[in-house]
Amino acid sequence: MNSSMVRIILGHILKIEAGFLLLPCLVALIYGEKVGLIYLAVAAGSLIAGIIMSIAPAEDKTLFLKEGCVATALSWILMSIVGSLPFYISREIPRFVDACFETVSGFTTTGSSILSDIEGLTHASLFWRSATHWIGGMGVLVFLLSIVSLSGGSTINLMKAESPGPSVGKLVPKIKSTARNLYIIYAVITIIEMIMLMVGGCPAFDAITLAFGTAGTGGFAIKGDSVAGYSSYVQWVVTVFMILFGINFNAYYLILIKHIKEVFKIEEIKYYLLVILASTLIIFINIKDMFGSWTDAIRHSAFQVASIITTTGFATVDFDTWNTTCKMIIILLMFIGACAGSTGGGIKVSRFVIMGKTILKEINSFIHPKSIKKIIYDGKPAEHSMIRSVNVYMATYVLIMAASLILVSFNGEDLITTATSVITCMNNIGPGFAKLGPTCNFSFLSTFTKIVLMFDMLAGRLELFPLIILFHPKLLRDLAGGKRRQDI
Amino acid sequence: MFGNKNNKKSGMNIIIVGCGKVGSALVERLAGEGHNITLIDKDAAKIQAVTNMYDVMGLVGNGGSYGVQVEAGIDTADLFIAVTDSDELNLLCCTVAKREGKCVTIARVHTPEYSKEAGFLKEKLGLEMIINPEYEAAKVMSRTLSLPMAEEVSSFAHGQVEMIKIRIPEGNTLDGMKIKDLGRDVTTNVVICAVEREGEVFIPSGMFILRAGDLISFVATRKDARGFLKKIGLKTGQIRDALIVGGGKDAYYLAEQLIRAGIEVSIIERNADKCEALSIMLPKAVIINDDGTNEEVLKEAGLHNIQAFIPLTGIDEENIILSLYAKRMSEAKVITRVSRNNFKSIVNTMDLGSVIFPKYVISDAIVAYVRARMNSMDCNIETLYHIFGSRAEAIEFMVENESAVTGKKLSDMKFKNNLRIAYIRRKNNIIFPGGDDEIHVGDSVMVVTTNTGFQDIQDILA
Repeated sequence: MNSSMVRIILGHILKIEAGFLLLPCLVALIYGEKVGLIYLAVAAGSLIAGIIMSIAPAEDKTLFLKEGCVATALSWILMSIVGSLPFYISREIPRFVDACFETVSGFTTTGSSILSDIEGLTHASLFWRSATHWIGGMGVLVFLLSIVSLSGGSTINLMKAESPGPSVGKLVPKIKSTARNLYIIYAVITIIEMIMLMVGGCPAFDAITLAFGTAGTGGFAIKGDSVAGYSSYVQWVVTVFMILFGINFNAYYLILIKHIKEVFKIEEIKYYLLVILASTLIIFINIKDMFGSWTDAIRHSAFQVASIITTTGFATVDFDTWNTTCKMIIILLMFIGACAGSTGGGIKVSRFVIMGKTILKEINSFIHPKSIKKIIYDGKPAEHSMIRSVNVYMATYVLIMAASLILVSFNGEDLITTATSVITCMNNIGPGFAKLGPTCNFSFLSTFTKIVLMFDMLAGRLELFPLIILFHPKLLRDLAGGKRRQDI
Repeated sequence: MFGNKNNKKSGMNIIIVGCGKVGSALVERLAGEGHNITLIDKDAAKIQAVTNMYDVMGLVGNGGSYGVQVEAGIDTADLFIAVTDSDELNLLCCTVAKREGKCVTIARVHTPEYSKEAGFLKEKLGLEMIINPEYEAAKVMSRTLSLPMAEEVSSFAHGQVEMIKIRIPEGNTLDGMKIKDLGRDVTTNVVICAVEREGEVFIPSGMFILRAGDLISFVATRKDARGFLKKIGLKTGQIRDALIVGGGKDAYYLAEQLIRAGIEVSIIERNADKCEALSIMLPKAVIINDDGTNEEVLKEAGLHNIQAFIPLTGIDEENIILSLYAKRMSEAKVITRVSRNNFKSIVNTMDLGSVIFPKYVISDAIVAYVRARMNSMDCNIETLYHIFGSRAEAIEFMVENESAVTGKKLSDMKFKNNLRIAYIRRKNNIIFPGGDDEIHVGDSVMVVTTNTGFQDIQDILA
């Protein structure tokens, strides 16, 4: 294993995080908060550590898939720990495990919080919480690829490990331009949302943090009641942008280069919009009597559906009080998730489309046992390896979920709380049901449970395998062995 | 930001169809030079393997299809290269690309029937370039055979100048000689451009002392080169006969060229049908239908007295074994062709005679073309060779406009390290330059350097 390359990537990640940590310093400066110094200190420490780690060049610059996965998983763990330091040092979140939980939840764009009094936080910390969503949404390694030229084309393995979805394609031949285009699209849509929110009378700080939360499909809000307190205009804007950020970013690139026709060929987007439409309609019918006017009802149902399917996790109402049909739909939406290649989490619509087609094919083969039919996806025959990876993903997903459920059950909560805690974390959503509903928080859980949920959040964001591979005995040995060799 | 401007920094947009040996060699070279490459092949596994190693975009599909080409971005492509195994598909790919895009097209055409008509095809189909890897490799081999004691012979300035690589034998006059004494003691019309010693390549200065066992590359006109070799006591005689194992396309091209030079050629080929076809195409050659990897067969074919032996079976390992065997059993000049170079470091250490990597031969031609296209108007790359296993480059520039290098004494300019101006060609005169010489507009200048990636004559300046 090429551990020096992994070391260099981790060093770069620390440097990038140092750069991002300067943003809350700026906020602190504007609001005159002393906590900015802590952010500055952490940024400086992170920068120095990053420079030290990446100073010695690697002899061999090849990154195979395993190095890509290991570097990605370690990067995410490392940046979560570094990102949690300001919360912990400033005592805004006094327990280290809570600070970690909050940061992991931020970077993985989950949005589950352990804070009971959100408004009590400093502006800098509120900003940093939301900024972690934006950084984690498109992925920090993609950001790394967009600014530095790590030599060789094998860096695609980094992108593969970090980007959501069953298959990762490039937009343009060069990985650096691909990553850069993705980030430009991401930043531009985020800025458009900020402007639209501000036009609607939303204060600038609220608009920026809301836009960060929406863009990363994260769900941290700066108010205790999430988005409920904002005007209906703001809620509609957020709804639309949540749906937009849940769409495969390839679509935006195709629009930009004026290949509009090809956008309609992406099956996933069709099904994604269809599911949103159908769920909104069903929930609307179920809740229309709970609100004063049908416009309110449709707004709340659309907002909640968009928030859950894109795995954002904002809320405008306490949907824990809705009837069982609505709650069931919301739980199912949690699993479906957004499109591949978006900033959203969950299992992804594309995997469900492929699975659906596989099931249909299997049913047909009962009628014509010897018939041969290739699965067509996006107008092209799907490679066997892709179908296999979808199946394996599902099986692994179920196994990890089952194991997590058992581990979380030791905490002694009721069935719904236990089940939805794992579901909401693994799919990177945020709120659950019962004791973890939209108006509640995760702080009452035990340390052990929080660690399990942190693992689930990271596993969900990194699409399971990069994180699991970290525990492969051979890689562990290699990593340890690589370090030992350096010591000598 | 999303534009596809054709400037030096972002590279050209290149589409390559076919991900075989030639295709992947091109990807390796062109991606290394910073171009935006989209690779098309029908085989998803091949695409996967290449895109995992190089920074290129892969596309699975038929490169001849209009839809696939559009998906690959034919509308913004600058260069389209079709190098699948099928000539017909390559030509179709380029024809479609030509109709749809504004790109330069290059097709690989390698069956002898079509390759005879290469000029016609190029003109009628509007292609910019037709490449034939087997033919080019055969040309290099036959050039090397024309001077059997040389390891490698490359030609420049339309054949006027040759660059010859030799190994200095034990006890030779060159052993222990300083390069600057060469003019005084041996001859003035020879420039030693590069020396390989113990695996390292040097561009020697005048103070460099040659030693036995060094591989040296020198540049001289055809006539002077032979005179020089005679003077230092090396044989320059031509070979009389050659034995080729394997009857593929390159064997055919090689045999054809050797026969034209008056050399007796025998070809051993396993497949009877191929033998028949060869015997029709090469009536003067001796075609033996047998297994060339069999020791007895080689003996019977007269390996022991043959003067040149070239194994050209489809399998590198077989060729390498045959070369080692021939080196052991005979005095013959041996040429080994290595198509895949997965184990180049090992191949370089073995006693295989002259080693030829066909994929470098062909990618040299295309890289020279691409670099020339990348350029501004003031100069052009005429020829480009990778020497010493691509550790050094020999480039011939055409100087077409005034620039920072023209009209100044060479001694007044500061050049990059590891660089040597081998000659200046002015109206068919070859000048081996000293400090007082100048580069003029209209000259061709040949530069040998271990700095790779030169695109413009001005790149030689420090």
